[in-house]
Amino acid sequence: MGDNSVGEFYSVALTNNFQQADTGTKMIHLGKNTRSTVISKGISAGHGKNTYRGLIKIQKNATESRNYSQCDSLLLGDKCSAHTFPYLEIKNHTSKVEHEATTSKIGEDQLFYCAQRGISAEDAVSMIINGFCKDVILKLPMEFAVEAQKLLGVSLEGTVG
Amino acid sequence: MLTIRNLHATVDGKEIIKGLNLEVRAGEVHAIMGPNGSGKSTLAFVLAGKPGYEVTAGEIIYEGKDLLAMSPEQRSCEGIFVAFQYPIEIPGVANLYFLKAAINSIRKYRGFDELDAMELLDLVRQKAKAMNVEKGLLERSVNQGFSGGEKKRNEILQMAVLEPRLAILDETDSGLDIDALRSVANGINTLRSPNRSMILITHYQRLLGHVVPDQVHVLSQGRIIESGGRELAEELEKKGYAWAYEQRDRSVSGAAGVLQ
Repeated sequence: MGDNSVGEFYSVALTNNFQQADTGTKMIHLGKNTRSTVISKGISAGHGKNTYRGLIKIQKNATESRNYSQCDSLLLGDKCSAHTFPYLEIKNHTSKVEHEATTSKIGEDQLFYCAQRGISAEDAVSMIINGFCKDVILKLPMEFAVEAQKLLGVSLEGTVG
Repeated sequence: MLTIRNLHATVDGKEIIKGLNLEVRAGEVHAIMGPNGSGKSTLAFVLAGKPGYEVTAGEIIYEGKDLLAMSPEQRSCEGIFVAFQYPIEIPGVANLYFLKAAINSIRKYRGFDELDAMELLDLVRQKAKAMNVEKGLLERSVNQGFSGGEKKRNEILQMAVLEPRLAILDETDSGLDIDALRSVANGINTLRSPNRSMILITHYQRLLGHVVPDQVHVLSQGRIIESGGRELAEELEKKGYAWAYEQRDRSVSGAAGVLQ
């Protein structure tokens, strides 16, 4: 809002079975030299669909502003999907907006590699998901982070093997 | 410790291993050589229990137990380790964390207490030093962005940490430059012990110059056609695999066979 202000948005979205999620944020820069970060993690399992839809708007007066957005998607199995729609509206020439998106998949080969090292499929999936969400979970207060990790575990129960 | 009898295995309905016999005793190092497509990697995956590799006949007895009845993670917990020809990348999971998960699930299976973070760090650092692996590798995601040499060295590090009883190294020497080959070979030699057996799967003789095997086998079209000491590897290198086929044909039919 005001000059030099900072905004941050971190999210983890998980869809399982036939769930569909369309999540995201609007980050509107009004003041000069404002900065924002958006990190969004989407996990799709089963027939789940995950969509990130986010708007980064930088007004004319918000000169020298910066935004960094990162959208990572993780797919479990081959019946789910992930989509990323970043909307960027930048009305001046001195601001910098970066967007990065990745998609990765927990594949059979990864699960077999883990199994060969003694790690069960369930443990392997939760290890990979925790690694995937690490950037966001680390931002949470400790108690909440523990809850969030457990919730991910429960929501994904039975998706593998 | 490992007995393979008349093993037949198929991948995608195609028979790759056709009646393979192999006996590995405790502490022995066996080298399996053979041309591309002879079934070397298939053998490694069959031993590890990879899904899609179906055993249609024969048996594998490992330390008196029926190996084929075990799941892949059970085999690992029982002490079987396969160093992959193409190690798999796991983005977002730190190498150290992966090792922790592996060692603790194996310890749990064997009835030991899990290691805490400090004990683990000590153990891994000490092994990394012995295996000549830079500490930086431990913080990076498993195999992601590793060079060919780093991946192979990482496999050897995992082997050192997990202390298997039977290690199968699937072309751990391929794609390495001379220095990397030497350091991987040193790692393997350090891990040689009277109660650890190894099967080295390789194309070339050059690894065997650094790691001297007790026995060398030549695999062709899904079966072992020739076995001998390390001289066999040298002879193969000089004369090529065609020579081994000739030997086989001579011993099978008593007359010089026709080469395909």
